[in-house]
Amino acid sequence: MDTAASTNISSTASVAEVIRTKILLTGLRKCGKTSIQEVLFKGLPTKDAFFIEPTTKVVKTAYDTVIPLELWDCPGSLTIQTLPTPLSQFPTIVFIIDIQDHHQQPITRLVELVITAYQENQNVNLEVFVHKAEALSEEYKIENFKHIQQRVLEELDDYDFGHIPVNFYLTSIYDHSLQDAFSKVVQKLIDSLPYIEDLLNVFCGNSQATKAFLFDAKSRLYIATDASPVDSATHSLCSDFLLTLNSFSPLYKSVQASTFEERRELFPSQLVQSPSASIQPSPSASPRPPSSDKGKLPDSARASDPSKALFYPSASTSLSPGSTETTVTCHLITPQLALLALIPTQTFEGRRGLVEYNVVYFREGVQEIWQVEREARTRG
Amino acid sequence: MAMRKKVLLMGASGSGKTSMRSLIFSNNPASLTTRFGATIDVEQNHVRFLGDLVLNLWDCGGQDSFMDSYLSTQRSTIFQHVAVMIYVFDIETREAIKDLGYYRDCADGLKKYSPEAKVFLLVHKMDLVRENVEGVLAKKRAQLEQESGDLAVTVFGTSIYNESLYRAWSRIVHSLIPNANILSKHLSTLAQACSATEVVLFERTTFLVIATSSDAEQDVEDPHKLDGIRYERTSELIKAFKYSCVRAREEFHSLEIELSEFTAVLDELTRNTYVLIIVHNPTIETAALKMNICLARNKFEELQTDSLFSS
Ligand SMILES: Nc1nc2c(ncn2[C@@H]2O[C@H](COP(=O)(O)OP(=O)(O)OP(=O)(O)O)[C@@H](O)[C@H]2O)c(=O)[nH]1
Ligand SMILES: Nc1nc2c(ncn2[C@@H]2O[C@H](COP(=O)(O)OP(=O)(O)O)[C@@H](O)[C@H]2O)c(=O)[nH]1
Ligand SMILES: [Mg+2]
Repeated sequence: MDTAASTNISSTASVAEVIRTKILLTGLRKCGKTSIQEVLFKGLPTKDAFFIEPTTKVVKTAYDTVIPLELWDCPGSLTIQTLPTPLSQFPTIVFIIDIQDHHQQPITRLVELVITAYQENQNVNLEVFVHKAEALSEEYKIENFKHIQQRVLEELDDYDFGHIPVNFYLTSIYDHSLQDAFSKVVQKLIDSLPYIEDLLNVFCGNSQATKAFLFDAKSRLYIATDASPVDSATHSLCSDFLLTLNSFSPLYKSVQASTFEERRELFPSQLVQSPSASIQPSPSASPRPPSSDKGKLPDSARASDPSKALFYPSASTSLSPGSTETTVTCHLITPQLALLALIPTQTFEGRRGLVEYNVVYFREGVQEIWQVEREARTRG
Repeated sequence: MAMRKKVLLMGASGSGKTSMRSLIFSNNPASLTTRFGATIDVEQNHVRFLGDLVLNLWDCGGQDSFMDSYLSTQRSTIFQHVAVMIYVFDIETREAIKDLGYYRDCADGLKKYSPEAKVFLLVHKMDLVRENVEGVLAKKRAQLEQESGDLAVTVFGTSIYNESLYRAWSRIVHSLIPNANILSKHLSTLAQACSATEVVLFERTTFLVIATSSDAEQDVEDPHKLDGIRYERTSELIKAFKYSCVRAREEFHSLEIELSEFTAVLDELTRNTYVLIIVHNPTIETAALKMNICLARNKFEELQTDSLFSS
């Protein structure tokens, strides 16, 4: 979806004002820390990861999703002693380990980190990415994964710290495993997750959706999903659909049609949104009638909050001939978040108005949560 | 009446012929190509294109022993009745001189047995060039044009990792459809009926662009200044998404997009084609576009069989 412009982390002003949740990415040199960051949060094409230069100093990346994040990418040489900030500042620490590197060094480093971090903060989330997994065959991959996991637990046990919870994930930038793992990492940091999950469950029930995800549109991490189990094929399909839409939207953007002034002439003035409502999808986003949401937005919402956009991008793709024909829908919910759902084509085509109404209801709920989060985190 | 066209795909071993064939004509991702073995002798494929055009694709294994036999004992079999020869050059080759030698010999064979054939030269694996991409390509192009002498050639830089491959292949198949301009005219009419900025027609399996409504009015400057590589990017994106659908055991059928900047519908037009309608007028709804596609179906079905290939 066309959110790239506004979700971009470059808004330096907000970096200073908002309290961000910090995530530390650490591990030995060349284990893939920078690649992970760049691929997830800066849209680096995976095939270019090969050309990344070694990181020489700590690089902080601010990223706005349902909560504001700050990712710390560290050089491989950095140790706990040389880290400029106390470990207790990080509610989550991700340690990355190259799957083919099962020597003593990374494991010693990881064990030391786990113990120190835990002693400083018993609630810290300790996440280990066993990375570059696609480089090994399926069987070998699982074997190495288990081996690393076992060694870490044994060493922790040796120091009497076997009870510290550490989570392990197999990841690779070349498939959806990285998005999947990082999604789970981020989900633990969102206090309002249960409310969002409830909203998703309600949406699915009312729209006959078989599955729904709330994605961060740009990184394609999923923030939440409904209660039905996540099947990796479905998750991948939704993620790929979002990627397709993200790539498609700039291709047919017209210099002419997007000028604000020109579009304003087409519409009654009360429908025109102030261009300075900066938190909305994009500068050119809104002077357009809410074509499919027409009449469904409560009037009070329109009048009371001028920053609420009247138009939200959406898309759908119908798939056939599968067992039952399915439509994958995508609706922008906030400038960063998109709702992706699988709905039987028959339902979507026959009762589209109802589905759209449920989207509006869902959006109102998420925006409220999002607003509360923002206010709570803004200093001053 | 089906029309058959023989297409030669030639070039040194490892230059990427089988990879590009698999990307364009089968729904395979680029990452799969590293598993291909060298092609032994000639692999022939019949690809039905737009219903009545059958491309008879000859993927000619490029190892020296095969090349030598194409140029000697098999010479007339290989080079006769050729409509198009595509010659692939690996930009990173260590044997550029030998490569050019074989190319010259093939060009001679083609001139003798199929003097009317069109020739496309693909400077391939351009993704491996990290600096001065334009300059590297220009230099290679000049060299190839010089080697070709009086033979008219069209040179493209390509890579299986980006849209450039679709650009080259769209132009290649376009050269095989005699009356493509008729399609453009009708697409232009459809565009007007929809208040669309443009309408693009894709072949169903390859998703190569066959014609666009803008072709019909070539010298009009594009007031919207749309991205210059949008067609080939669209082919690439939709092919990739089709592959995602297959992995989820689904089949891609159609797409609707409503953004603040434009509205788009991509849907089946005829048995062999897909149509993409791009609208910048914000008052037009997708339902109206779908309706128009429905109404246009019969007309295009007829066009495709009657007038496109009868010349
Ligand atoms: N970097 C890069 N590699 C490519 C590209 N196209 C193909 N390759 C790789 O080149 C190798 C050889 O490709 P093939 O398609 O088997 O080559 P071929 O021309 O059919 O070779 P023969 O059948 O022996 O004549 C494969 O490992 C492909 O993955 C490209 O555009 N860029
Ligand atoms: N095979 C494979 N290689 C990867 C993966 N992620 C990163 N790499 C490669 O690992 C190397 C080091 O990556 P980099 O991000 O610079 O590591 P850092 O030093 O930890 O920041 C690069 O050549 C990347 O292309 C992956 O998932 N699979
Ligand atoms: Mg081959």
